[in-house]
Amino acid sequence: MPDHPRRLKRSGLTMPVVTERFINNAWHRGCDFINMDLEDSVPPNLKDVARNLIKESIPVVNKGGADAVCRINHDLMEADLNAVVWPGLMMVNYPKAEHAHEIRRMDEIITRLEAERGIRPGTIEIGANIETEVGVTNAYDIVSASPRIREFGGASGYDMSRDLGVEMFVQFDQFVYGKGEVELTARALGVTPHATPFTPNLTGSVSDPDRAFAEADAARRCGFRIGGGLHPNVVEPQNRGFTPTDDEVADAHWVIQQYRQLSHTGDTWLQTQDASGQPRVVDRYEAARAEELLQWRAACEERDREKNEAIARVRAAEASA
Amino acid sequence: MPANDKIRRSWLLVPVSQPDRITAAPNSSADVVILDLVEFVAESDKPAAREMVADSLASVQAGGAEVFVQIEPDLMLADLRAAVWPGLNGIVVSRAETAQQIAEIDTVISSLESERGLLPGSVEIVASLETAPGNHAGFEIATASPRVWGLTLGRADLIMDLRPEPSGEIHLMQYLMQRLVTIAAAAGKTPLGAWWRHPDRGLLATPDNTRAAAQRGRAIGFKGSFCVLDNQVGPLNQGFTPSESEVAAARSIQQIYADATESGTLAAVTHEDRFLTADIVRQYTNVLDLADACATRDMFKAAAVEGRPVPVP
Repeated sequence: MPDHPRRLKRSGLTMPVVTERFINNAWHRGCDFINMDLEDSVPPNLKDVARNLIKESIPVVNKGGADAVCRINHDLMEADLNAVVWPGLMMVNYPKAEHAHEIRRMDEIITRLEAERGIRPGTIEIGANIETEVGVTNAYDIVSASPRIREFGGASGYDMSRDLGVEMFVQFDQFVYGKGEVELTARALGVTPHATPFTPNLTGSVSDPDRAFAEADAARRCGFRIGGGLHPNVVEPQNRGFTPTDDEVADAHWVIQQYRQLSHTGDTWLQTQDASGQPRVVDRYEAARAEELLQWRAACEERDREKNEAIARVRAAEASA
Repeated sequence: MPANDKIRRSWLLVPVSQPDRITAAPNSSADVVILDLVEFVAESDKPAAREMVADSLASVQAGGAEVFVQIEPDLMLADLRAAVWPGLNGIVVSRAETAQQIAEIDTVISSLESERGLLPGSVEIVASLETAPGNHAGFEIATASPRVWGLTLGRADLIMDLRPEPSGEIHLMQYLMQRLVTIAAAAGKTPLGAWWRHPDRGLLATPDNTRAAAQRGRAIGFKGSFCVLDNQVGPLNQGFTPSESEVAAARSIQQIYADATESGTLAAVTHEDRFLTADIVRQYTNVLDLADACATRDMFKAAAVEGRPVPVP
């Protein structure tokens, strides 16, 4: 198995690939990824036009350092894959995934296209989006169907609400079972769970930056890493919300230091107070969380540097042109 | 549902490597003492800790507790050889992940039982589903051996790295708890656990939070829970025992139903706008049976602690 380091996906914008001004302006928004949509935001009469725009749009959305993702159509999978698997694409999002055989078919086609088009084998990920009850029921077989699935989640959102015939924006979590099943599947098969804790949302706003930050912050505190949205307003709050704060970094160093005191004592945990006077338990689990937090923070900083440099390069080139 | 044949409300985890904890265990009033070789024993202390299990088995039972030993699949052979001696009630398999592991553990236990003069099949297993593969394979694990008596989530919150949500619930836990209770019932096993919330973590909580977690846990079907500290034992015993007001209400409903159906012409009645049938009343009878069994268990432990002759349970 080639090693595929996980790319960061704190923030992302999904946009119809046929709307030129969205595609042309997305690169400087600071997203970790840009999801070019062929599905619900593209009208049926433009599906052909849309899929043929992906190849030329990949370098456009890439130029600010964002990774390129494409959401294809469930019912047009083969034609869409032929048009979108090109160098520079990181992931194909497959909506309404329901059966393992769909994923196996995608894997075969992508494997052939990678070979034909000079893409290193296994580069292109499959995002299998669970948006129906059939998908929830077959989750384990779906994730088992291809090593290209490296993150997994779903069982909530617009399509799931419609599949169940329920209102999406309510005070309580209407998807406990499906989300739990999908997340347990991801964890059991060792792929990154793409999940988020429930926060009540009655407005359905797609552009509220405070709400975007609160959701990202809660998700990060729960150990999750993946964001994404529909409006440029949410990009910066998501990058910020998914990045550990300076206080958390200081706390992580403190935890690791406390944990070191346990070695050779024969004890496996200690109870103490942290800098803010809160009672805290320190053990190997807290130490592991702290180590992971420091690594994640470093990865966030590296990713931000990468994007900032890419954006600066483009601006400098434009200025001198 | 398995019968409430054994009252095992509080399961106190005691590191075998810590003599003061072993000495204190008989006075803890725990229904079950778990001699731990996994979570709370430093890696370098494990060989010495295994040597101490045989002697500790008898000493911790002085307070009338049953005794289990917690082992892990990776070190199964050494752990089981250290643990399976006369007096042992069962094994907790930490981080259980596959039915195959349980089958292998069953085989090793069987040969040790026969070598060391234990009644064949007497050593029970509680499978602790603390990883995602273990939870996913929960039903296969539960049915892998007739020795499996119970299932629990152990310290899944730490081992699976599940953290608090803004609501205070531990992420994914409500799903995992309901799943475990369902699997256990379907397999005829006993679900063990408590509904912990932030800031409780890794079975560790204040006495008050432990009592509340036990009451919530009992309300969704758990029969008892693991804990880490001596001062959590009382709250678990209390939380998993029907309260006095529950007992009084159950007695009264039983009587009301008996009186109302005495004539033999009615099977369903309403009382204070509540609907009662024989099956509904049976639930209250179960509560009274549980309360009686808990009282008997507590009497037995009290007698053991005081060194009095104990009533045969």
